[in-house]
Amino acid sequence: MSESVGLLYADYPLAEQTDFADFHVSLTYPRNLRRWFKPQVLFLFDGYPPFKPLPLDQAFPMLEWGLNWCISNHVNHCLMIHAAVVEKGGYAVIMPAPPGSGKSTLCAALVNRGWRLLSDELALIRVSDGKLTPLPRPVSLKNESIDIIRRYEPSAIFSRKVADTIKGTVAHMKAPADSITRATEVVQGAWVIFPKYQAGAKACLEALPQSRAFMRVADNSFNYSLLGLNGFKTMANLIDASLCYDFTYSKLDDAIEIFGALKPQASSK
Amino acid sequence: MASNLKWRVRSDRALHFHSWGDEFIVYNSLSGDTHLLGSVAAQILLRLQQAPSDFMSLAELLTSLLQTEMMGEQLEPQLVNILEDLNALALIERT
Repeated sequence: MSESVGLLYADYPLAEQTDFADFHVSLTYPRNLRRWFKPQVLFLFDGYPPFKPLPLDQAFPMLEWGLNWCISNHVNHCLMIHAAVVEKGGYAVIMPAPPGSGKSTLCAALVNRGWRLLSDELALIRVSDGKLTPLPRPVSLKNESIDIIRRYEPSAIFSRKVADTIKGTVAHMKAPADSITRATEVVQGAWVIFPKYQAGAKACLEALPQSRAFMRVADNSFNYSLLGLNGFKTMANLIDASLCYDFTYSKLDDAIEIFGALKPQASSK
Repeated sequence: MASNLKWRVRSDRALHFHSWGDEFIVYNSLSGDTHLLGSVAAQILLRLQQAPSDFMSLAELLTSLLQTEMMGEQLEPQLVNILEDLNALALIERT
């Protein structure tokens, strides 16, 4: 556990003990007999366990999943979308997609080819001004995606693989140091792209009507309904400012090339 | 459908519209629901948001929206479908 934290969080500034913290989280052993023959780990949020314990081997993935849970359940000054977000040249691509669509794999490839990582999991769009707030944390990869990205970028730093989790085999890729340094730089969304990995498919970027994109992004939001009219307005402003596409791909290099050629719409600021 | 009945939106302050091209997104702050509507249905809803309307005046609006020569009975089934759909979405009601 400490090895993975040391490896993947080495570039983050440490908060002082007296600094304000939004959440206090910890990992501990549950008080049960399994501690002695099949040890488990328990995630605590402000001292309360929101989940059942997992096998001790899954401690680091549990920390990452727990941190995502903390944010997705408590950060309501932002419209939150289940999406990867990357940025280049001051414009961000939001990639909403369900698990298994290749979102995190594509995100990992992009951030290893010059795009800034905002998040591989949560797009945080401020209700106050529509800007995207970065949340650069380790990129969660699973199953075949782990070795695909290892081969794609041999210098990428990974936590060790953890097998037999609820998501299969998982490993986390360290966020680029530059993305961590720029963690307070908010950015304007310029594209909403729904990625879909399809074996053997030719890379294809297909324009999507903005109204349809609105409904699909809302379907991928954690708190659109909770935010009420503010959620609707924030979403409408995001879609207004964005070009929207469906994107099918099978080769990462093709995807990088297509993303590199994206141009924001003329009215984007 | 009785032509002297009037239709109205359930709450004129609750509906919020945003359009892209020929499609409208309508947010109903009473229910929290969001709907994707085509242009014709949205224009009828916008008319009802301005003021309650009877079937005949809505049929006239539909004629102009569809830019068709069809009148009255010929358009009735289409208008009935639109009104029933909007009613089922809890966006409008009979007065």
